Amino acid sequence: MSLLDVRGITMRFGGLTAVDDVSFNVDEGQIFAVIGPNGAGKTTLFNAITGVYEPTEGSVRFRGSPVRLEPDARLGLRAAVVAILAGLSAFIAINIQELWTVGIAANYALNQPFPWAKAAGDALDAARAVPFAWGVLPAILGAGVGAGTVVALWQRSRRTPDLIARAGLARTFQNIRLFTDLSLVENVLVGMDSRMSSGFWTNLLRLPAFSRERAWTEREALDLLEFVGLAERAYEAAGSLPYGHRRRLEIARALASKPAVLLLDEPAAGMNPSEVVELMELIRRVRDRGVTVILIEHHMKLVMGISDRIVVLQYGKLIGQGTPAEIRADRRCIEAYLGTEGEG
Amino acid sequence: MRRLPMPILAYFAIMAALPLFMGATGLFYDAFQAIFVFSLVGLGLNVVTGFTGLLNLGMAAFMAIGAYTFAILTSDIYPFQIGFWWGILATVAIGAVAGFLLGAPTLGLSGDYLAIVTMGFGEITLDVLKNLDAVTKGTQGINPLPRPTFGSWTLELQQERGWYWLLLGFVLLAVLAVRRLERSRSGRAWLSIREDALASQCMGIPPKRTKMIAFATGSALAALGGALFAALLSSTGEPASYDFQVSILALCIVIVGGMGSVAGTLVGAVVMVGMNSLVLVKLADWAGAAGVGNASNVLASPNNWKYLIFGLALILVVRLKPDGLLPPRLEGGAS
Repeated sequence: MSLLDVRGITMRFGGLTAVDDVSFNVDEGQIFAVIGPNGAGKTTLFNAITGVYEPTEGSVRFRGSPVRLEPDARLGLRAAVVAILAGLSAFIAINIQELWTVGIAANYALNQPFPWAKAAGDALDAARAVPFAWGVLPAILGAGVGAGTVVALWQRSRRTPDLIARAGLARTFQNIRLFTDLSLVENVLVGMDSRMSSGFWTNLLRLPAFSRERAWTEREALDLLEFVGLAERAYEAAGSLPYGHRRRLEIARALASKPAVLLLDEPAAGMNPSEVVELMELIRRVRDRGVTVILIEHHMKLVMGISDRIVVLQYGKLIGQGTPAEIRADRRCIEAYLGTEGEG
Repeated sequence: MRRLPMPILAYFAIMAALPLFMGATGLFYDAFQAIFVFSLVGLGLNVVTGFTGLLNLGMAAFMAIGAYTFAILTSDIYPFQIGFWWGILATVAIGAVAGFLLGAPTLGLSGDYLAIVTMGFGEITLDVLKNLDAVTKGTQGINPLPRPTFGSWTLELQQERGWYWLLLGFVLLAVLAVRRLERSRSGRAWLSIREDALASQCMGIPPKRTKMIAFATGSALAALGGALFAALLSSTGEPASYDFQVSILALCIVIVGGMGSVAGTLVGAVVMVGMNSLVLVKLADWAGAAGVGNASNVLASPNNWKYLIFGLALILVVRLKPDGLLPPRLEGGAS
């Protein structure tokens, strides 16, 4: 079974079909390249794989699973609890004046013990006496809105980028997206978030688990910066890095989650030849760590030099796939790149 | 304490010592009690807007929720009367819950839309407080409220120094809490959302949950500020004390001090609220003594220039120091 299985992905934006029925498999341990002229739909394909977009058609399977939330008992429970609370709130919100007056104000006298049971009884009686239109009806409406909101919000969060990242697919971006005001270490630590377990209270109260986690995460973050060659600037702001280094930091941040697959979107864009050589070296070392690499790239020397397998996109369609040697020999693929049929 | 940076340590040292050089009562205390209350609200807003980048224009509503929760649970006109300390605890919890409840359906909204929703929430809260008079006593406010007790000793309303230090203590607690969160997994998740929401989500940070926790934390701090504000006056005051201007004041504090900077928020509160309750009041006194200000001429009273001066301060800061007076700084390094 292949690691990543892209089946018939189609991505339509209104009348425009950016990706048209693309299928391919990526095997574990490969360096897999997606090439094609500008506007061929490569980044859109990446976005569909990583959950930034929901594909119009088709599916992405990672280790055989669609990485998607399925309806379960917890969803039902949550909807039920919210429905009950929302129904009660709606009822109370409308009738609070009456209930408060009957239950609390009427029973309370300064410096005398408050008859809680009687107050509750009076309030209940008052609640029962509320006419249907002001009691049961708003409660039902409130419950409906509450449950509906839960289900609607769940529906929208079934296949989100954070879910996919946590499943083991990390990515970088074509236009580098770092957390520029944070330090290099902090950038990597954010990438490591999915492997951390300390929660709000652990952090607030500085429980022992906090210090333990801080120790190993910081050590590992520094190791990763070392791996990409940025350790000596670990505590500088990411925004102060020169362009070539930013790519490396983005790769370190993506690797921090220990992903099974790393998706690199045009990692060599804007790099000079010597930087490209270093980048090739880095990508090979990433692969040697056991990470499967999928990259989008224009830089032919880089792609042909390191890829195990290549797919070629043009106008959103997959026009060829194979080893670098096969692609080099494929007339259609060469034409797509030379742009003989109009500019892409 | 060991990791608090210099500006914050200096702030608390100066603030703790200041009353020793002042009289036992006076305008100074009114001003600084207000400064501390708004420091708490500002710290809350700093978590929401400064750290997480969510523009919240309804902080006053959470202050009001805090003040009224505290009042209902502690005042002797109602049967609950759980006392000052339990009241404060309950208020912080209910403030957080209120933040969750507002956040749950709205935090999917981005930028300006969230700002509009929070602004609307502020207005609705005011109207509810005004009109729900069986519970909130309408425009009259709930009073009297209990005073804090320490063992058998009670801090009376006129012991202004005591209140000053008590509030300063709450500010210190809030600063410690916010700093601890900021420099942890929780805080990094907030900052990453502010820096780049998409990249953050693609790194596995669940946006909604993270934003909700920020929202609840900010609301809890604002509610604490509201509860202390009410306790100081022994009354919630009228609902209009928590109007839109208050939300804007909180925002000004964070912007002037420096978005995302705890030290900046403290300084921002001193500058903005100090101007409001110290400088302007003094000016009004002088103007009165010099016979300049008279009731018939609205322009002669410095208090009526308040919002003009706020606006001017804001414009000056944004023009001259766009990151605020004390912008956040990177920390860490070889430990």
